[in-house]
Amino acid sequence: MSTLLLLAEGFEAAQLPCTLVLLVTGIAVGMTARETAIPAMVSFSLSVLVFSWTRFSDRGAGWHTLIAAIALIAAVVILFLPPIRRLDLVAIAAGVLVGFAAAELWLPCVGEQFGRLLMQLPERGLSGVALMAIFLTGTLSPVLALAAIHHLTPDWILERVEPIWSVVGGFLLSGLAVATAVGYHETVLGWLFEWSVR
Amino acid sequence: MATKTKNTGRNNRRRSTNDDRRVLTSRTVAVVVVLLAVMGLLSARYGLGPSEESVTATDATSEGTGSAVAPPALAETPPNLGPAVELTDIDGWINADPTTTGLSSYGGQVRIVQYWTFGCFNCKNTLPHLKEIYNRYQPDGLEIIGVHAPEFDYEADPNNVSAAVVELGVNWPVALDTSKTNFRSWQGDRRFWPRTYVIDQNGDIRFDHIGEGAYDELEATVAHLLANGA
Repeated sequence: MSTLLLLAEGFEAAQLPCTLVLLVTGIAVGMTARETAIPAMVSFSLSVLVFSWTRFSDRGAGWHTLIAAIALIAAVVILFLPPIRRLDLVAIAAGVLVGFAAAELWLPCVGEQFGRLLMQLPERGLSGVALMAIFLTGTLSPVLALAAIHHLTPDWILERVEPIWSVVGGFLLSGLAVATAVGYHETVLGWLFEWSVR
Repeated sequence: MATKTKNTGRNNRRRSTNDDRRVLTSRTVAVVVVLLAVMGLLSARYGLGPSEESVTATDATSEGTGSAVAPPALAETPPNLGPAVELTDIDGWINADPTTTGLSSYGGQVRIVQYWTFGCFNCKNTLPHLKEIYNRYQPDGLEIIGVHAPEFDYEADPNNVSAAVVELGVNWPVALDTSKTNFRSWQGDRRFWPRTYVIDQNGDIRFDHIGEGAYDELEATVAHLLANGA
């Protein structure tokens, strides 16, 4: 029961300004990746999962986590290898990097179920990753929804829309990168939040 | 003729790309389904489980003290999690005596320290519970210190914080940690809103909770420290 509540809390968190950094970066990476949006967004989501779990469970300093992360990412790449092209590999790498940055910048606002999980996370093993994944399925639902929309959109529409999307996404990502480098990313996200609720 | 060949080549490339994309998508769906299944199995086996049973509510009516339910009691003494770090670089205080400088200004008292920001939905959800605890235990010596650590610029404006404090009915001292110096030094790499601590009369942390909830345990810790000392 509490697992379902955790998922519900994840969906609720998707609507909170604290989560904006995950959603903006995830959607921007999908927009920029154009026809490779799906591998980019999947690798982004996995990367957020691995690196936020690493950070919140206090495992950041251990080599085993890094090895686990590399193994996971390699497994995904191998699974996709036959139909994969150089462009997809670049998209996967970009998704992983942006996911890492988003997980580092994310300062969550925490409800009851996620709070209980975070309190237990340092002592939990793989079940902690699974529960984090359940929460993040809800939290990253807009990114996953965008991937689904991308998949369902006919090619002739994508061919017209993708060039504009990719410019907007690229602008957003590079703007955030510059803002983060000079320590102003929270200001930029604050503007985005205020603009979105106006 | 050359144009026709060029167009056929481009169409073939697009068809091949679309086929690749379909394979890629079906594999993505397969991986996601497998991941969801693994997650389901793991969470069914190792789910969050029931809430901690460290707190038991005592029915006061059986003790003849009235109709109200007595405060929850702790099963054991709250653990000592080490000394609390003094608040530094505070930009100002709201609802506090002008001489207030930090935690030491409330030295010798049981203190709840909560890291919050007024734009945080989950922080606002904790306020009714904190108000209840404050009203019940302030006469016995409890003090709450809300450390306001803003996430966004509009939350950093002291005028906006003052207005929010009035609007939300927060009547305990609020320290403005605009630079988030204390937010970082108290929480390290595991930084969240809200995060609630209880500090005992000696300045040691006796309760630490991330997020909403655990209100019974919070109240029980406060009641225990007020009744039994540090």
